[in-house]
Amino acid sequence: MNMKAALLGAAAVLGLAPAAFAERGTDGEVKLTFPQAVSIMNPYLTGGTKDILAAAMVLEPLAVVDPNGVLVPRLAIEIPTVENGGVSADLTSITWKLVPGLKWSDGSPVTADDAVFTWQYCTDPAGGCSQATKYDGVASVEAVDPSTIKVTFSAPKPNPYTAFVSGLSPILQKAQFANCLGAAAPTCTDANTMPIGTGPFKVTGFTVNDTVTMAMNENYRDPAKPAFASAVIKGGGDAESSARAVMETGEFDYAWNTQIPPDSQAAMAAAGKGQFVVAFGTLVERLEMNMTDPSPDLPEGERSTVKAPHPILSDIRVRTALSKAIDRSILVEVGYGAGGKPTCNVIPGPEGWASDNEGCIAQDMAGAKALLDEAGWTDSDGDGIRDKDGKKLSILFQTTVNPIRQDFQALIKDWWTELGVEVELKAIDPGVFFGGDPGSPDTFQKFYADVEMYANNSESPDPESYLAQYLCSKIPSPETQWQGENINRFCSADYDALHAELTKTTDLAKRQDIAKKLNDMVTKDSMVVVPLVHRGTLSAHANSLGGVQINAWDMETWNTADWFRIK
Amino acid sequence: MLTFTLRRLLLAVPTLLVISLVIFLVVDLAPGSPMSEIPLTIPPEVRRKMIAALGADQPVFVRYLLWLRQFFWVEPASLFDGWFGTALADGEQRILSWQSRSPVFSIIGQRLPQTLTVIGTAYIVGILIALPIGIYSAYRQYSWFDQAGTLFAMIGFSVPTFFSGTLFILLFAVWLGWFPTKYDTQLEVRDWASFWQQARQMAMPVMTLGLANAAAISRYMRSSMLENMGMDYVRTARAKGMSERTVVLKHVLRNSLIPVVTVIALGIPSIFGGAIVTENLFGVNGIGAALIGAIQANDIPMVQTLAFIFAVLIVLFNLIADILYGLLDPRIRYE
Amino acid sequence: MLDAIPAPLVQVEDLKMHFPIYSGIFRRHSGDVKAVDGVSFEIMAGQTLGLVGESGCGKSTVGRAILRLYEPTAGRVLIDGEDVARMAPEALRRKRPSMQMVFQDPQASLNPRMTLADIVSEPLDEHTDWTRDRKLERVYELMDQVGLNRRFVNRFPHEFSGGQRQRIGIARALALHPRFIVCDEPIAALDVSIQAQVVNLLEDLQERLGLTYLFISHDLSMVRHLAQRVAVMYLGRIAELSPAKDLYARPLHPYSEALLSAVNEPDPVLAARRKRIILKGEVPSPANPPPGCNFCTRCPKVMDICKTVKPALLEVEAGRMVACHLHTAAGATGASEAEERKRPVNQQGETR
Ligand SMILES: Nc1ncnc2c1ncn2[C@@H]1O[C@H](COP(=O)(O)OP(=O)(O)OP(=O)(O)O)[C@@H](O)[C@H]1O
Ligand SMILES: [Mg+2]
Repeated sequence: MNMKAALLGAAAVLGLAPAAFAERGTDGEVKLTFPQAVSIMNPYLTGGTKDILAAAMVLEPLAVVDPNGVLVPRLAIEIPTVENGGVSADLTSITWKLVPGLKWSDGSPVTADDAVFTWQYCTDPAGGCSQATKYDGVASVEAVDPSTIKVTFSAPKPNPYTAFVSGLSPILQKAQFANCLGAAAPTCTDANTMPIGTGPFKVTGFTVNDTVTMAMNENYRDPAKPAFASAVIKGGGDAESSARAVMETGEFDYAWNTQIPPDSQAAMAAAGKGQFVVAFGTLVERLEMNMTDPSPDLPEGERSTVKAPHPILSDIRVRTALSKAIDRSILVEVGYGAGGKPTCNVIPGPEGWASDNEGCIAQDMAGAKALLDEAGWTDSDGDGIRDKDGKKLSILFQTTVNPIRQDFQALIKDWWTELGVEVELKAIDPGVFFGGDPGSPDTFQKFYADVEMYANNSESPDPESYLAQYLCSKIPSPETQWQGENINRFCSADYDALHAELTKTTDLAKRQDIAKKLNDMVTKDSMVVVPLVHRGTLSAHANSLGGVQINAWDMETWNTADWFRIK
Repeated sequence: MLTFTLRRLLLAVPTLLVISLVIFLVVDLAPGSPMSEIPLTIPPEVRRKMIAALGADQPVFVRYLLWLRQFFWVEPASLFDGWFGTALADGEQRILSWQSRSPVFSIIGQRLPQTLTVIGTAYIVGILIALPIGIYSAYRQYSWFDQAGTLFAMIGFSVPTFFSGTLFILLFAVWLGWFPTKYDTQLEVRDWASFWQQARQMAMPVMTLGLANAAAISRYMRSSMLENMGMDYVRTARAKGMSERTVVLKHVLRNSLIPVVTVIALGIPSIFGGAIVTENLFGVNGIGAALIGAIQANDIPMVQTLAFIFAVLIVLFNLIADILYGLLDPRIRYE
Repeated sequence: MLDAIPAPLVQVEDLKMHFPIYSGIFRRHSGDVKAVDGVSFEIMAGQTLGLVGESGCGKSTVGRAILRLYEPTAGRVLIDGEDVARMAPEALRRKRPSMQMVFQDPQASLNPRMTLADIVSEPLDEHTDWTRDRKLERVYELMDQVGLNRRFVNRFPHEFSGGQRQRIGIARALALHPRFIVCDEPIAALDVSIQAQVVNLLEDLQERLGLTYLFISHDLSMVRHLAQRVAVMYLGRIAELSPAKDLYARPLHPYSEALLSAVNEPDPVLAARRKRIILKGEVPSPANPPPGCNFCTRCPKVMDICKTVKPALLEVEAGRMVACHLHTAAGATGASEAEERKRPVNQQGETR
């Protein structure tokens, strides 16, 4: 824990350190390494964070989200609001103004047409755009004039900052992608790997799944930036080797996603060449309690569907007891070190959105046992396993194959066994578990188990769409080909109603209030989601790299224009 | 020999077709989906559309036939276009990787040079180390040199490359700081300085793989030498009063090399196949790293094409090994 | 031959060839295969000594050890007055042209990757500075001598018949004008019609070139008309050494008797008179020979002394030597165990 404090402190100091006001391109090369290599530079055709991180150095949206979760204009002059007239009073449109004189890296002017095109590009039904949700509810995007973009929504949109906001939804150059609409999207290899952008860097070389080389963008709007004349992103290997290349050998300046065991973190930090930084977003490792019966004795079509409520876990006292028996601090210590902290919330941040619910942090084995006793689960035959009406308290607990998760499984099994619960563990290949193949019995959506563990996060600081997961309508079932995000099959009219209210509320404070309530409804009030660890992204940077501001709400590479070499 | 070669090549065609179908089915039936690496924040409808855009929702036989057409017609045609400026493959869909949306063959083209330099060098280094060890070990069987050679081979066999590689990294990169841990694929050898840099970054992967290769080949060499050393014709050569050098290097070695050369030829496809673990460990963007990346991402077109190319190479080098055997050993003649 | 007493070209004295046996994980030296265990004989220049005995008795080993293709454990081998067994490697190599061997297995003894021309001319490359043409001329000459068609000169060994291969082996042995040739069962691998051809060839060559042969065979009848004297070997030792006609007329050693009884007798009268002696029991292992006479375990005329004392090879009649207590009953002497000499490993011989 000491190290964690030190890390956070160091990060804070760096964040405050005054940026060196160097000239453009005077600091040589900055070298980044990712454990997974970059496959493509077009964020609309990939779901991989590695790809979007790289793209964010080249392509820019109208606005980004800063480390505090606050919107900051990028290609726009300012953030449109109802107050400044940028957002219509009825919340059905938002109008962005482009910074005057903006140029693409090839020297051509950036116009509102590029934004219109980007919208068309991502909403073409044949294109398979991975960021399509960013344009949900957008009725049209128009170029009012060459520097004014008007986004009109089909219904009032309390959160209008989705399209063209954050690294997930940058503006593409129309001229470059004009022939890449719809089914042609994947065939435009050159455009997809070397997109022309407005960011501080431009792609000069791209080796698929290996290396991206970039040079500073001569046409970048701030003449003093970037400090680095070139950048390289080398991918491949694993978290360990990436971390080592920054922290021990000093070959690289920045390594993304270096989640390694806590003891390795300490050993590498001791080498003194670099430091770890953590971005805490909304990623939460959690247990999902199956509210439906996964028994194989049930016919297909009923198994794990709302037709068959779970015989054991339907009782909130059992779910609560299972949560109480867990010591989340030990889990963090064992699995994540500085890269995690215990949590009881599905929405752990940003501040303002997170509920103050901390009731689950302290382990309470006695309380858990008492709850089970109260629920009628007692060890009547003295075999160490509780039972009720001749039925044993036995649970199948599944997750993906992953060393940390297997450690967690073992620890949790110990606690639950102590509680008098029989636990069977199962670990599934992540490709299968998250693969969503309706034919496979092992997907997390099908949930043919009693409890499962995985991590999920909200894609934006505003959790509206994230909280929509637990609506009754999102329950996976045979009818939906087992698609749907309501994994635990929680269904509450109150929740649905409150969420509907959220979609209509515009006042930020009220929205946050509702979100906290929704969070509490699925966590402490119902215990259908049992959050364990709030996970950060652990990255590493060399001590000689200045200007790094780790960002959980947008891409970590959001401010590479400000990075510089500490001399 | 020519008819033999032609006949074998003709026979290879149906074999390879069957292999390609089997590979396709195996790869396709393997669990997982191209969307499994995509964050959960992307909703199911979007995923479905993405899958449709990849063509991954088509029935398996449609995809197989499409792949066959792409592999045997579109890709050669576009290669031809590239050479001669023709337009045979215009408007045709090449085999695209699901991961990167780039043509699979251009990815292979990008990666093959790295694999060939690193893995190829490791293979050659392995052979160069193995042959003298094998020869001398056999010549002085049970000597301390032979015992040391046996130990070396045992280590090379039994220590997995991820272990020896990590050990090398800790020793040579972290501790001694001699070599870089990440292979810079952008490096162009233009002068002595860059050549030196290239040599340094190749050192560890080449050592790792060379050790493993040398272990196997030195054993083959040794046992083949031992077998021949006891033959009467060697005694004949001694009886002729030939010098020891001539006896060992001309008579014994030449005959012993026949099976070893075959083994070496049979191992060549593995150079093209790259070394999954080693490439990954040192960040060499070779074919092996591409394959494992593609498998993890369920990039079926990539996996399928690579697997099939390996199959072709294996069949081809089996033939080459047979032909070599025929050339080297006068007792064998193919009709 | 009557007027001059022929001088011995080859003198073998107490030759021993032991192959060490290693066993266990640490390959400890746990014993020896005594393939040849104290053999002595002489061969007169221009004559043939036949060496007979059943399979595995050490005949080939004697032949190889004499030519220092094996590194003898002990004993002296004088060829033309020089002790081959103790010669320095380089001197030995220069000596080799004068002593040659025709191997038992014609197929295995020829390098499969060399053509006839290469095989035959290789010793010429090593020991002469002749031009290519002259060497080729010599190859042709040798092919003529052994009766091989000149057209075959560029063929590989596997393209010849067994008899032809044996001729190549002979041609190869003759290439450097040797004086002494060890013929190790040169005809055993051939069928009968060709056997006669090869034997005639060898005789013919001996006559023309004045060669001295050690002719190894397990076929007594073949040795009979080739050899002037015959040594009968049993389990690494010589049982009897007699002029051929005496041996065939009246074998002295019980083992010789048994061997001869098995030979087809062309004379029906003699054949009828002779009864076949069938030896019982197994040949003992050369790694663990009996303490007394090597033959005592199977000898039909075995006596008590045979089981404890090794009989020495002694001259019992003029020109006839035998190692048997039956014939030396008067003064049985223990076998002379020559002190084993240690010598440096010589690269020209195998010690394995
Ligand atoms: N290199 C060797 N190492 C160990 N033992 C050997 C070796 N060579 C021969 N022997 C043993 O020495 C004994 C004599 O072998 P040798 O080849 O001299 O027999 P041989 O009389 O020529 O038999 P054959 O008539 O079958 O050719 C045999 O018991 C054999 O097993
Ligand atoms: Mg023999």
